[in-house]
Amino acid sequence: MTLNSEDEGLLQLNNVKLDFHTYAGEVKALDGVTFTLRKGEAVGLVGESGCGKSVTALTIVGLLPENATVTEGEIIFEGKNLLKVTHDEMRHIRARKIAMVFQDPTTFLNPVLTIGEQLEEVFLLNLGSNDAKLEAENTGSSKLSKSQQKKVARELSIQVLKQVRLPDSERVLKQYPHELSGGMRQRCMIAMALARNPDLFIADEITTALDVTIQAQILELLRDLKREFHGSTLLITHDLGVVAELCDRVAVMYAGNIVELADVKELFAKPLHPYTQGLMRAIPMLDKRMDRLETISGSVPDLIYPPTGCRFHPRCPFVFEKCKLMKPELLNAGKGHTVACHLYGEGKK
Amino acid sequence: MTKVLEIKNLTKWFPITSGLLGKVKGYVKAVDGVDLKIDQGETFGLVGESGSGKTTVGRCILRLIEPTSGEIFYRGKEISRLKGGAFTDVRKKFGIVFQDPYASLDPRQTIKSALIEPMKYHKIIESEDQAVMRAQDLIKRVGLNEDHLYRFPHEFSGGQRQRIAVARALTTEPDLIILDEPTSFLDVSVQAQILNLLSDLQRELNLTYLFISHNLSVIEHMSNRVGVMYLGKMMEAAPKDVVYRRPEHPYTHALISALPLPNPALARERVVLAGDIPSPVNMPSGCRFRTRCPYAKDLCAQEDPPFVAREPDHLVSCHFDLHLSAPIPTLDASTKS
Repeated sequence: MTLNSEDEGLLQLNNVKLDFHTYAGEVKALDGVTFTLRKGEAVGLVGESGCGKSVTALTIVGLLPENATVTEGEIIFEGKNLLKVTHDEMRHIRARKIAMVFQDPTTFLNPVLTIGEQLEEVFLLNLGSNDAKLEAENTGSSKLSKSQQKKVARELSIQVLKQVRLPDSERVLKQYPHELSGGMRQRCMIAMALARNPDLFIADEITTALDVTIQAQILELLRDLKREFHGSTLLITHDLGVVAELCDRVAVMYAGNIVELADVKELFAKPLHPYTQGLMRAIPMLDKRMDRLETISGSVPDLIYPPTGCRFHPRCPFVFEKCKLMKPELLNAGKGHTVACHLYGEGKK
Repeated sequence: MTKVLEIKNLTKWFPITSGLLGKVKGYVKAVDGVDLKIDQGETFGLVGESGSGKTTVGRCILRLIEPTSGEIFYRGKEISRLKGGAFTDVRKKFGIVFQDPYASLDPRQTIKSALIEPMKYHKIIESEDQAVMRAQDLIKRVGLNEDHLYRFPHEFSGGQRQRIAVARALTTEPDLIILDEPTSFLDVSVQAQILNLLSDLQRELNLTYLFISHNLSVIEHMSNRVGVMYLGKMMEAAPKDVVYRRPEHPYTHALISALPLPNPALARERVVLAGDIPSPVNMPSGCRFRTRCPYAKDLCAQEDPPFVAREPDHLVSCHFDLHLSAPIPTLDASTKS
């Protein structure tokens, strides 16, 4: 590995490969994903649909569908390989350490329980757990009774709803998900995720389903929380604008690979990978006037039969022989900027 | 400049019924008094959040939805009350491209048949051969080839399907095309291809576009003039540089300043609106934006501001002249105007 000169990260993915079994064949969805998430930073994972960004997140939290198999690689989180832990350990990690919020809050909130019931459950699990008992014994305080636990959970729920700037939080606790607007539901989801004070917060397209003005509210909330919340964030999105506003570093994914990884300012100022360059020229931007958008020819490849060598080579304007034969490794291009492209490798200038 | 389309005070209220007898207990005011005009050869961008009524406006023009009231003029002729054959004659001058290319093409129809059917219906061809030739010409114009005519929609990707939908919109030699979120289902790299295609076709065929989208960057890129809708009403309409660089309506201002821009080096002031969009069933009194407006005063709750011209070709519906700051910082030095 050429990259591990970085200080120790909170989460480290090493060459993670994953296949989906389908009737049509094996979909090689992840093709050696490697990156490190440091403590306290926010990393954006960007790419078009089908590039594997959500699958990467689901692999980290161990929520893959049954037809998926990780064929290679490891995911190291706080010294443990998440791909090797037992089901119960993973549950424990999801309950305490890693929280994830998804794109569509309606699907992930239970429609027949009030927000309060769902939110308090998170705290009750913690309060009633063995850890809590041990702590109570150690500190000498008496264990909380069931009703006391409920009371504490309620207090904490109100607090955490205030933290996500939901006005009138006591009323919200009594409401059902359908009584809330999309933006409010998403705030509840974020509240539930932050309730556990996780070390890692994964946000998968959490503003995509929202309107511009509501998205702006959620982005502002995330900006504020970034100051209060000391864990790391992995932000998955297809919107480069959202990444530019919230992230410290960005990883660009294409067809199951991370093709470029850099500081956010560095990446936007000097994109190196032809795909990243193409992507940036293909988006209409309000702060730049473009007569004509540049396009990336063709479309995203079929991952049952992925292209040989570099998976971007059929669409790449700078393609040469080596690209078709060899998969490019992530290379260090200085200033913590890494890129997987033969253009920057040895033997080719 | 000749006006291709003009809409005056268009409304569409959907009744809310209840009970067995369908008693009307209220209305969803999807479009509530919209004025707009589109000149020959231009692209008019209609932008708004979900529920603002922009799609309903597009469908009312084509009479896919019957408007409740208001007037629609096509080249000076009132068309909103035309019936039967008289409207069919006008209708063939309009094309439409829908948002979802997976739903807008019949899965059991070949591309050829999808392209020829409208030609036959509107009797713009004399023979089958002529129809096939025209279909071949159209499919090439949108960047596909003749072989594709004999395939079915499932054999195409989303971007290709949208190209087919564009070809179909062109079959009747229209001069106004309504593009209803034509790229929102597509990935950005494919979106750029479709946007370029639309620009090329507009130039080659002298088309007029009504481009409906919630994506402010796409609207900015494509349009000559822009109208901003909120809860069924036009808030501001002007040439695009006016709307994006010096808007006068507080909603437009907030919308543009809050848009995340892919440029981390850009420092700017954001206006984040509080609250949610009110329900179009229980519209706020007076100005419909007042519940979220940072500048709302007593007058706003009492009177609905008229949509009036502040200068030629810049219409705003706001009681006050707010002198808002520019929502986007200065342009890069390297850019051309």
